[in-house]
Amino acid sequence: MSVVAAATVVSTLAACGGGDDGGGSSGGSGENEASDTGVTETSIKLGAHYPLTGVASPGYSEIPTGVTAYFDCLNKAGGVYDREIEFVYKDDTYNPAQTSQVTNELVLNDEIFAMMSGLGTPTHSAVVDFLNDEGVPDLFVSSGSLMWGDNPEEYPMSFGWQTDYESEGKIIGEYIANEFPDAKVGLFLQDDDFGEDGESGIRQYIDDQIVAAERYTPGNTNVGPQIAALQAAGADFVVGFNVPSYTALSQLTSLALGYDPQWFYSNVGSDPNLVGGLLNRFSEGKVTDAALLDGALTTGYLPTVDMTDNPWITEFQRIWDECGGEGELTNYRVYGMSQAYTMTQALQAAGQNPTREGLVEAVEAVGGEWEGPVFAPFRYSEDSHMGTGGMTIERIVGNGSEEVQPVRITDIGDAEIEEFDGEASTPPANAIPEEEAYEG
Amino acid sequence: MDYFVNVTITGLTQGMIYSAFALALVLIWRSTRIVNFAQGSMAAATTFIALALIQAGASYWVALIVALVSGFVLGAVIERVIIRPVEGGPELNAVIVTLGLFVAIQALIAIIFGSSFQSFPTPFGVRGFELGDTTIPLTPTNLYVIAAVLVTMALLVALFRFTRIGLAMRASAFSQEVARLLGVKVGGMLTLGWGLAAVVGSLSGLLIAGGTFVYPAYMDSLIVFGFVAAIIGGLDSPVGAIVGGLILGLALSYVSGYAPRGSALVTISALVILIGVLLVRPGGLFSSSTARRA
Repeated sequence: MSVVAAATVVSTLAACGGGDDGGGSSGGSGENEASDTGVTETSIKLGAHYPLTGVASPGYSEIPTGVTAYFDCLNKAGGVYDREIEFVYKDDTYNPAQTSQVTNELVLNDEIFAMMSGLGTPTHSAVVDFLNDEGVPDLFVSSGSLMWGDNPEEYPMSFGWQTDYESEGKIIGEYIANEFPDAKVGLFLQDDDFGEDGESGIRQYIDDQIVAAERYTPGNTNVGPQIAALQAAGADFVVGFNVPSYTALSQLTSLALGYDPQWFYSNVGSDPNLVGGLLNRFSEGKVTDAALLDGALTTGYLPTVDMTDNPWITEFQRIWDECGGEGELTNYRVYGMSQAYTMTQALQAAGQNPTREGLVEAVEAVGGEWEGPVFAPFRYSEDSHMGTGGMTIERIVGNGSEEVQPVRITDIGDAEIEEFDGEASTPPANAIPEEEAYEG
Repeated sequence: MDYFVNVTITGLTQGMIYSAFALALVLIWRSTRIVNFAQGSMAAATTFIALALIQAGASYWVALIVALVSGFVLGAVIERVIIRPVEGGPELNAVIVTLGLFVAIQALIAIIFGSSFQSFPTPFGVRGFELGDTTIPLTPTNLYVIAAVLVTMALLVALFRFTRIGLAMRASAFSQEVARLLGVKVGGMLTLGWGLAAVVGSLSGLLIAGGTFVYPAYMDSLIVFGFVAAIIGGLDSPVGAIVGGLILGLALSYVSGYAPRGSALVTISALVILIGVLLVRPGGLFSSSTARRA
């Protein structure tokens, strides 16, 4: 239990200034009221669950530190309508039973206003009914599963955020069909919605090129038979819909098997810093090249830390330096900050005295227009709670990547894939959005 | 055909890892008649000690020796301080205490070393050997594991069969009162047994970690398979532990490689295999315990 307790972190800054209400953030004339659960005159409480320990924790455990850094800097600058954001996150070890328990605590005990950024498909699936039944806004789930967004009637309070795995699969499939028409493609899939959604997207474009689809069960770390099967099927191009630790395991297993296809890891499993960090210690053995992933393909929907001249990365670096904790700015922290940015937009749009329903209405009404670090717009509306639908294709080079195909956007089902014709957005001052309150 | 060979070799190398852990369980069972559920956490603890040393610049071999020594100390201290008070009571008490230790040690590791996922080095390579133009999934690291496990097994067999200390340890475990009457220092033997078992456990922890990733709970899935391997082998036979581990590794690899969605069936298959073996031979394949039970 002590581990769980130690991993429970509450991020609050000492109340900033206080009292001095006049001319706070964007507009608002009346007084701040405790307008709903988790909202007081001076604070708004948000909650989340992440794997801070265990097999899924590498990388993902850094996301909340990015969220916290962003909110800390935001709070220093006055928060949202002079309310400071309190972000409470708990460790679920990527175990759905734990997710249920910590979500219960967050909702019933900590009395959060809204959930944000709860991470993982199997984990968040375990609490999505509970959150919707309790009427708790469930914003920007950290998972590309379709279920948070494709049916708002079933889950009116839940919203996706990142590109869903089906749209990602479609964009990958189209790219392979165009650029690698002769490749014999093998799929390395996590045996759940993550792998299934990705597979269904990719098969829309290259069903006849796929020679094998192998599934691994998270927790079973021996992927030898799966990688051997891809090799035996003659796949010379492998697309992985897997988490980062399985990227490392698949690379290690392929080394042992002498298997060297062109790898394409979906966005989730491809962070070169993380995977490289996991693999580099073996270079003391006979893995001569630390950058095993060099040359692998992946997708992108957010700027990454290697894009040092991207204005969002510049701002996020400043925020991390000023308000962050130990360690470097990583792509996972950028992910957390970007989610915190979208959350701030949502809270501003919900108005001076937000209610849970008002928050959801505001995201549906104006969320599709928000600009931010994410490359392509969100698809939020009354009929869709899907997050962004656009992705670039990148080639991993060293610890960074270079773009090989610009942003293309699509939607689930048989929607076409189109080139994104919008401009890349630039951050507002201090990377703090200024959305107007949405008035029904 | 290549695929069959690859799945088989993967299964054998994985099985050797189960064997390594099963050996430690067998050792503690033979020397104290306690099933030690904390074995996995204890091994993880010494593995993290080794990792800390390696990160501080020590060589793998220095770290290995320090891990084995600290394993011995950890095992002996746990026996003296925590297990001794419940020894001699109902058998279940000590077992439940080890379950508690299992959780407590894991939490301690997380507090001291952090809970992040880290790679653990191996002194040998992780690329498969090349035969002509094919590569077989057998790496120098695999060979090191196999050699280390076989040598350990041979040493254990020799210890129990050919030395006076081994005889005394078996006697103490078998019946404390009788052993005491015969002049065996039972207390010392039990402490020694725990210490030695923890050394073997530490070794298995390091072998399992080499060339892959560790985090405080990394032994959890192996504990289950290690137990199954030990019980298939009969729980008190070092040879049985090896054979049990290999059978389990092979069977699970075939399930994973040939059954549809095989990876998901692996854990269930372990249970099926265990039940199958116990139905045919309730004492395990290499058991001799029924005749010797006091």
